[in-house]
Amino acid sequence: MSDLQPTPIGDRARAFSKRKDVRLSFLYSTVITGVFVFLGLWFYPKFMPTVMSEQMQNGKEVIIYFTVISAPIAGLVLGIALYTFLNRHKGDTPPPDGPAIRTNGPVVLIWTIVSGIFCLVAITWGLVEMNVASAESANNEPNAIVVEVTGSQWVWNFKYPDLGVESHQLNLPIDRPVVFRITSVDVNHSFWPVQLGVKVDANRHAITTARTTPNALGPIEIKCAELCGLYHAYMESEGEIMTMANFNNWITSQGGHTA
Amino acid sequence: MASTIQGSSKTIISATLSVLLGIGVVAGVGYTLHGASDYGRAPVVAKVIEQVDTPKGKMNHATLELGVYPDSVSSGAHGPDGGSHPGYVSYGPSNHIVIPAHSLVTITIKGYDGGESLNTPFFGRVIGTVDGSMDVDGKKVTQLGMTEVQHTFTIHSLPTSTRDPLFVNIPLSKQPDDAMEKFDADGTLPAPVVTTFSFYTGSAGEYVWNCEFPCGDGTYAKFGAAMSKLGYMSGKVSVVDHV
Repeated sequence: MSDLQPTPIGDRARAFSKRKDVRLSFLYSTVITGVFVFLGLWFYPKFMPTVMSEQMQNGKEVIIYFTVISAPIAGLVLGIALYTFLNRHKGDTPPPDGPAIRTNGPVVLIWTIVSGIFCLVAITWGLVEMNVASAESANNEPNAIVVEVTGSQWVWNFKYPDLGVESHQLNLPIDRPVVFRITSVDVNHSFWPVQLGVKVDANRHAITTARTTPNALGPIEIKCAELCGLYHAYMESEGEIMTMANFNNWITSQGGHTA
Repeated sequence: MASTIQGSSKTIISATLSVLLGIGVVAGVGYTLHGASDYGRAPVVAKVIEQVDTPKGKMNHATLELGVYPDSVSSGAHGPDGGSHPGYVSYGPSNHIVIPAHSLVTITIKGYDGGESLNTPFFGRVIGTVDGSMDVDGKKVTQLGMTEVQHTFTIHSLPTSTRDPLFVNIPLSKQPDDAMEKFDADGTLPAPVVTTFSFYTGSAGEYVWNCEFPCGDGTYAKFGAAMSKLGYMSGKVSVVDHV
């Protein structure tokens, strides 16, 4: 009768952890996790664009943190895969099938809770970051420079309605909030001033608002991030974050009046 | 044991052949696409005609000529029968132009087509030329209205640290409606609207140009058909050290 009683979970866990395949898989998983953490913290950031706004800083941190958070999951999957590959069957006669795996309550519970926590962290984090660049936030910037961004196949143009200038270049002053009002005159595009950490769809017949505040001097690239036709790959413009004095000089040279 | 080694050799040979076959397929597709891209056509190469004094110093002055036509037959850019899409509007004689670096470049475009309306007035402005203007049939012009344009010739580039930015936008004045009605009736090209403009080039590099007038078919906001196929209303600009 006692043989039919389930083994205590602690005993099962101890026996499980002493298995050679489990230990080796855990070892591989730990090493791979360490590699991904190293890549996320040190290697990937070296290839990210220059940070020139708070939004870009936040975006960069999200990528780094999410890479580190997801490293153990990738490590576990790849560790088990590596062990399985290294110990795969060789020869003509396959071994008999192992025992069927039934539902394992503790594993399902742990897996569900951990996955749920990861999803909640990702969603909450994303919502908070999106709110920073939201339209409501943009409307609370009375001192902001307004730029009307228009996408057309396959060139961007930028209108500064308060300054009387329209240009193919996106030049902005440092430390001054800017509100982008983004639209398209043909197909859907996606306005992406890379170093400013803003990426917003440009839709025909609709104006989408986003904001940022450049906080570093230097050149910026403006790309289209929505596949928009033949020359989508060439839909890039140049711009620069400059001092207020230089910005005013540029505005004047374009026939506008200073900010 | 021998059979295991034989089996391993077969596996290695099969894997190698599969990889080589894959490379061959990808290369074949790439070669075919390149051939269909119309970049294989002989480019229009600018001719250096003189040296001129400019605010940027002494420079070579180079010129070239293009045309923009209401169909591909007239353009001469796609063979005598207009190629696979004889009804498409097209620039000619090539969509690839070659111009010298660090030079003053003057381009003349003969426009034979009519027009409707630009999508945005921005592309009605002359941008990036020496004095912000162009010459249209002998008149100095800085801007055209949205409904006065037949096509645009818009050069732009990818912003990279190693390439000088180049942005030139030229709106081309359209033909009158009755001239296009005559062309539709009997195929007679009207007298061209002749547009001439000059700009400075920087260092050598590859750029692109395209038309910003919605002159394709109804798909993709009139950016389908000729506007969505290489060789008609878009192309390449090669800025080279020596032409």
